[in-house]
Parts: sequence; structure tokens; C-alpha cells
Amino acid sequence: MNLSQGTLRWLAGALFLGALGAAAWRTPQPAALTFAPPPEARQQQLPTLFLAQNLPSTAAAPRHASLTELPDGRLAAAWLAGDDDNAGIWFSTFGRDGWRAARRIASRESTAGGTFAWSSRTARPLLHAEGSWLHLWYASHNPLGGILLNHSQSTDGGASWYKPSRLPTSPLAGSGGEPGGPPLLLADGGLLLPLAREFMTARGEWLRLAATGEVIAKQRLPAAAPASIALDAQQALAVLRAAGQDQLAGSQDGGQTWQNIAALPGLAPAAPLALRRLHSGKLLLAGQTPSGTLTLWLSDDTGLTWRVSRTLEQATDATADLAEPALLQGRDARIHLLYHGPAQQLRHAVFSEAWLNGEAP
Amino acid sequence: MNLPAAYGLLAHAVIFAALFALIPFGEFRTRAVLTASITALLAGIAPFLHGVFGPPSLTLLQLAILQIAGRTPSPLSYRAALGLLVFSLVFYPLALGWGPFDPYALGYQPLALLAALLPLGGLLFWRRQSLWLLILGVDLAGYAGGLFANLWDALLDPLLLLLALAVIVRRWRASGSVTR
Repeated sequence: MNLSQGTLRWLAGALFLGALGAAAWRTPQPAALTFAPPPEARQQQLPTLFLAQNLPSTAAAPRHASLTELPDGRLAAAWLAGDDDNAGIWFSTFGRDGWRAARRIASRESTAGGTFAWSSRTARPLLHAEGSWLHLWYASHNPLGGILLNHSQSTDGGASWYKPSRLPTSPLAGSGGEPGGPPLLLADGGLLLPLAREFMTARGEWLRLAATGEVIAKQRLPAAAPASIALDAQQALAVLRAAGQDQLAGSQDGGQTWQNIAALPGLAPAAPLALRRLHSGKLLLAGQTPSGTLTLWLSDDTGLTWRVSRTLEQATDATADLAEPALLQGRDARIHLLYHGPAQQLRHAVFSEAWLNGEAP
Repeated sequence: MNLPAAYGLLAHAVIFAALFALIPFGEFRTRAVLTASITALLAGIAPFLHGVFGPPSLTLLQLAILQIAGRTPSPLSYRAALGLLVFSLVFYPLALGWGPFDPYALGYQPLALLAALLPLGGLLFWRRQSLWLLILGVDLAGYAGGLFANLWDALLDPLLLLLALAVIVRRWRASGSVTR
């Protein structure tokens, strides 16, 4: 069938207008960004408590642990283990009978199989439970070493996982970011997923996901942001890292603008850290000091001042990356800390706020 | 089945085959193109390209299909390529982290972008650029159908930028040889 130029022109015009209208109809129009307010501060009822144990051993060099709480109260952890091409994401759960045997839930092969794209190795994971959904975001490297962000999910507490899919975070494949800390919950059921990007400039970003999991927005932070938390519907705190120095910054407008609030206590330059708002309203910070000690700091005034609460481990070599902490406070008020121990193993410490306040167990 | 992933893989196989369509195979052209696309899928070329470049834009895929169909001259003329290159020289550095403004983020909620495309569509219609109007319409339909979460990904990609660069360089070389 031969179309005349005139007919083709009108057909193309009609297609263009129809598609433009459909695209406008499909465009997500989310409400203004509002954080899900954290629960009201309440006093701790737990007695003084401290326990520590190793996680089940996996392949060599476990690192980048991520921690979340399942709806039934069990903990779930994911971490990276293995070298280069053999690196994989390992998963285990912690219940009344302790940690279950760890198993690999993502690898370069499973990533390539799900995304139909060559993948050279897997990288940092982030685990997050949301109702009956257990989300796993993790970075992977493309053949040129660039970083891509992938997402997989489980509906049975991590027993089985959907094939991963790639999230669009950048116009240039391989310039995406790694998960940069626990997500921030939004009032509309969505999430803000912190990303750490190293391409061109080291910078933090928040990837906004709708309740359906679709990426619907992205916003840049003024610097790399290894940790961020919400304080109420609009207020947030983030640790901003520039030139190796950490500053606690606050935002009153959902992360649009930031002001420095306070310098953080004596952390090693560029050391991994974890920040949590406890049920009591206090802030808990975990990180490594320049001398290589894994330390916990508390703040009673929303980050303005900090005091050392406890020291946990001392690295045999001060330059060793001892900590890489992941923090979580369960619904039962117990605080869980996963970190990279000195014996190249992941350690799990469970403690109460009474222990943080200096009381002996 | 992950639709965007399947699209990315198959589109790279088509684009690889379009490269072969540039070679003058004569009466074996159809077979050569078919063989190239199957080879790209079976020999891991398409997954490799998908891993390196990500899913190609619908714009590039349509240009590849037109190339395979033997439609000449390509809609990607020197002027179109130059416009694309100039735009990309601003867009990509900003989107990849240069400065606080991220134009790529506009593509997740692209009402402003769609409003800007409306006069562009009108201009193409007025200039009787039916093929570009069709290409743009299919791009928008791909976004509307959920193949892309970000409208920019339907419109542009780094391989398209490389193609535009090749068109410009070829033109400059051709004009240089005429001058000599």
C-alpha cells in the first residue's frame, strides 16, 4: 500500500498528538514530597541488654551488610561476599533459633538472566521490608566497570526472589549509583532510595519510588550523603560528606535545601557510618574513629551535640575498614547492629537503649 | 518476562543488524542482516551492548529499522545530527552530575517536556517532516505504554549521540575532500 505524502503527514500528525496525549495521561503526578512521620518518641522499657555473635560464614570477605525487620519480627540481612566476578549477595534471617544458614540470592549470572544484559559483578545491597514485600536493591557492574542499580523482591520472607530488573537512574548506562543507606518512607506509601554516585562528582541522590515501585522522581543532594533520616513530614537530617569531612545537615523542606547543623564527632575520614532515630527520639550514630575503634554516639538534641555512648571493637590495624555498620531498632525496641568484625566476619550485636545509656548488663 | 529488558536486548540485535545493512551485500543483503541479528543474540553481542549502553532509545531503533528497510536518505541528516549533538553537549554533562540542575530528572514527570515537544511537533508538521513526526510519535507511545520510566530514555541515548557524531564527521570529511 502506497500512502501519499499528504496522507502520511496527517497520519503522523495524528499519531504524534495521540501519543502526546497518552504520554501526558500516563505521567505520574505524585503529591508533594512528604515523609512518613516517625512514631512519637516513647520511653524505653527494655532492661540493660547486650549480646553479640557472628553471622553464618559465607564466601570470603563479607561486607556492605544491610538489615531489615520482617513483619513477623524476624530480622533479615543481606550482604556482599566473594571476590570480583564471584561476588554475590547473601541472605539470612534471624529468629528465635538464631541465624539461619546463609544462601546466595543474587549473582552476576542471576543479574544477567533477569536484565538480559551482560553483568560483570554484583555490588552493594540494600534490603527493605515493606508489609509482605521484601525488597532488595543492589548495584552491579557492567562490562566497562560502570555501576547499575537493580531491584528484586520476595513475597515469602526471602525464600524465593523475583528476577531482578534494572532501575533507570541515569541517561548513561553505568553512571548510576549504589544504594547509599536505608530508604526514607514517604506518606504516600512510596520511598526515597538514597544513592551514592561517584561518576564525575561524588554526590548523593534520592530516587523517589512510587508505592508501585516505579521510579517517579530524582533529586540531588549537595554532596555525598552516607546516611539520611526523616524527623517529621518535612524535616530530614543527612550526613553530608565533602572532602572527607562529615557534617550533619538539616532540611526543612523535604530535602530541597540543606543547612549545616553540626560537625559530627570524631569519625575517621570517609568512614562508613550508620544513623538511626531511636524510639526514644534520640539519634544513634555508629562509625569508626581514626584509631580504628567501632564507636556508638548518642545525641539527645537532634544532632546538635553528640556524646560517646559505647565502643565495641578495636581493629588490629587502624587503617582496616572495621565497621561498615548497619543499624536497626526492632518493634520490640531491641537495637541491632551489623558490622564487619576484625576476623573478616560479619558480627551481630543486639542491645537495648539502657545499655547505650551506660548501664551494665 | 521483563518487558523493558527484552526490548533492550532485541533492539540491540536490530541495531547491530542495521550496521551490517550499511555493507553492500547486494542480493544477499536480507540474509546478511538476518544472520547479523541472530548472531548478535546468540553470540552475546546484544547482551554485551545492552550491558554497556543500556536500552537504546526508540529513536535509534526506528532509525535502525529504516536503515534495514533500505529507506534512504536517513532522516538523521547533517542538520538534525548537528542539532542533536549540540543539545547533547548541554544535556549529558548536566544530567551526569555537572552542577545542581539535573535535566534527566525532568523525564520522570515529563509534563514540561511534553509541553515543549508540542511546538516541535507543530514545526515538524509545518515543515512536512512526516518521518520525524512519526519517530517522535512512536517515542511518545513507547513512554505512554510503560516501556520507559523516563521520557528521555525513549528519545535519546549515547549510541544515538555517537551516530549523530558519525554523520557530522562524515559530512565534514566529504566537504573537506570536495574543497581539496
